[in-house]
Amino acid sequence: MKPSKLKPAQRVISWVLQLVIITILGYASYLKLSDHAAEIDLFSKLGMEPAGRFIIGFIEAAACVLLLLPNAAVHGAILTFGVMLGALIGHSTKIGFVGMTPLAALLLIIISTVVIYLRRKQIPSIARMLN
Amino acid sequence: MSASVDLHKISKFANLAIPSLAGLFFLGGHFVSFYFHFLTVVFLILTIVNLFYMFVQKKHAILRNFGILGQARYILESVGPEMRQYLFASDTEERPFSRVERSDIYRKSKGVDSASSFGSQLNFDNSEIKVRHSMYPSDKEDIVQFSLTFGEERGIEQTFTIRKPYMVSAMSYGALGVNAVKALSRGAKMAGIAMNTGEGGIPKYHMEEGGDLIFQMGTAKFGVRNEDGTLNDEKLKKLAAEPSIKMIEVKLSQGAKPGKGGLLPKEKISKEISELRGVPMNRDVVSPAHHKECVCKKSTVAFIKHVQDVSELPVGIKLCVGLTSEFRQLVEEMMLQDVFPDYIAIDGAEGGTGAAPKAFMDGYGMPLMPALYSVNNILTELGVRDRTKIIAAGKLINSSQQFMALALGADAIYSARGFMLALGCIQSMLCGSNTCPVGITTHDPDLQRGLVVEDKAKRIVNYVNGLEHDFYEMLAASGIRDAKDINIDQLYIPNDTALADQIEYLLEKHQSSLIS
Ligand SMILES: Cc1cc2nc3c(=O)[nH]c(=O)nc-3n(C[C@H](O)[C@H](O)[C@H](O)COP(=O)(O)O)c2cc1C
Repeated sequence: MKPSKLKPAQRVISWVLQLVIITILGYASYLKLSDHAAEIDLFSKLGMEPAGRFIIGFIEAAACVLLLLPNAAVHGAILTFGVMLGALIGHSTKIGFVGMTPLAALLLIIISTVVIYLRRKQIPSIARMLN
Repeated sequence: MSASVDLHKISKFANLAIPSLAGLFFLGGHFVSFYFHFLTVVFLILTIVNLFYMFVQKKHAILRNFGILGQARYILESVGPEMRQYLFASDTEERPFSRVERSDIYRKSKGVDSASSFGSQLNFDNSEIKVRHSMYPSDKEDIVQFSLTFGEERGIEQTFTIRKPYMVSAMSYGALGVNAVKALSRGAKMAGIAMNTGEGGIPKYHMEEGGDLIFQMGTAKFGVRNEDGTLNDEKLKKLAAEPSIKMIEVKLSQGAKPGKGGLLPKEKISKEISELRGVPMNRDVVSPAHHKECVCKKSTVAFIKHVQDVSELPVGIKLCVGLTSEFRQLVEEMMLQDVFPDYIAIDGAEGGTGAAPKAFMDGYGMPLMPALYSVNNILTELGVRDRTKIIAAGKLINSSQQFMALALGADAIYSARGFMLALGCIQSMLCGSNTCPVGITTHDPDLQRGLVVEDKAKRIVNYVNGLEHDFYEMLAASGIRDAKDINIDQLYIPNDTALADQIEYLLEKHQSSLIS
């Protein structure tokens, strides 16, 4: 099934937002996968060191890749939304709201929501309903 | 009711279970291992989506009523064509309406382009009637706007003119829920077409929308009856004076259950129903198989005259043809008394209903095409075709079938299920069980919630516009300028069809009567 096309303006906005997500998320993923000290500290607090750190790092990397593909971007955004929801849960229950990370998570949630909204018709189960 | 899965109950359970699970996993993530939060996140997202489906979006009744579980239907439906194509039946096999037929209406009602590709999925052998085009199509600008005036033959004061060849066929408030009645009435008004009220008594909800109505007087005469089931002239007079009521229809029989009345069990008689229909609350009410007043051709024609006189409106009759000879005698009686109904609505045996015995639904009555041909033939032969109009009903939901009915002598088209499909009917065939999943033929407020009146009214408008567009295109392609000129020569009728049989049968009878 062909995913439905976006209007030009929507497409531009969506791509700008996707690139913002990729920048932040890509950096976060890089820090995790390259054993950055702050990340090790974080995941120790969650009791997920080291496996959890690698899993999340990989998911974030995967989301970045998906966000680069026109037809899969919406899935990348959904993945971002999910991971960041988890991050917020972590910050509010175990880590506390310190530094830039929780703010970045919040920002990503908002941006990915907008991308999902713009590209909602490309979500397969919704696209099916439109036929 | 069949022992099928109760989606409503399951979805209620699921809608509770999803947020509960999210909470449970959250606790797990907090106290046991943070890994549980992978699941927390998934179920939180499901919860959000579910809330959105049930309370924010308004387009999809199924999702409003069932939430995320309802989505399964769309997913199954979307893989259905493939599944059926490879494993089960084809897209053209479902009954009463195949997927091909239904999706045409869904597309029209959603205002989506209806062009299709590669080729037709229908048959081109001896089993299907087709429309003939002309080598010289007419220019669209030259085509006369459709117009049909009921009552003009009798020269009465209050005639009724329609400018689109479609009308919503009888469906009562009772068979339909409040929301469906409102959406249909509003949509019909916006689309500029008339709507039949069905035999549900005083059409309170229809009248609220202020569109043109045809009041149907069923055999029980709900709304205009005396205690004993005879006509109450005063009540009819009062109703006929309502500005919305443009015509009266005396229902003699209906295609889905010709020759059969009905029973309204006392459990179903709410205070409102009792008031609207004018029946007592504590007793079962029987709809007889025929009007008390109509026991023979003479009394039937006299009754039509009586209703015409009392209502002072155009008065039509609706029937499903059984014996063509009986119909001929009825027309001869009309000629004798010089009384003609202002229209005759022919309902094919393939017609639908809210509830009817299977034997009648499947096994009784003449199918529309041959019946229509015979009726037109009889009226023409007796020289009185110009004394009345013919309306045809019976699966006339798509443009080409409607055109065929017009070619066989109909002046206008009635459809019930076409408009139900436009309202979002998914043909789950549960009209009689009060569990209609899209909230059309149910009184369950939970299920009706899914049917958003304003949104669905627009679908009716889109559907009518789509049909009208096709109608003028087809007129042009047939090289016709005025809809009145459509005739049977425009049809290609293969030998194996029921219609061909009927034509031959009547021809033989005619010839043998000439010889003898
Ligand atoms: C839910 C439902 C309710 C109906 N109620 C009535 C009714 O009250 N009176 C009547 O004469 N016909 C009734 N009909 C029959 C239709 O008016 C119509 O004649 C028949 O369905 C053929 O049209 P269709 O094939 O376009 O549906 C009903 C049909 C349906 C599907």
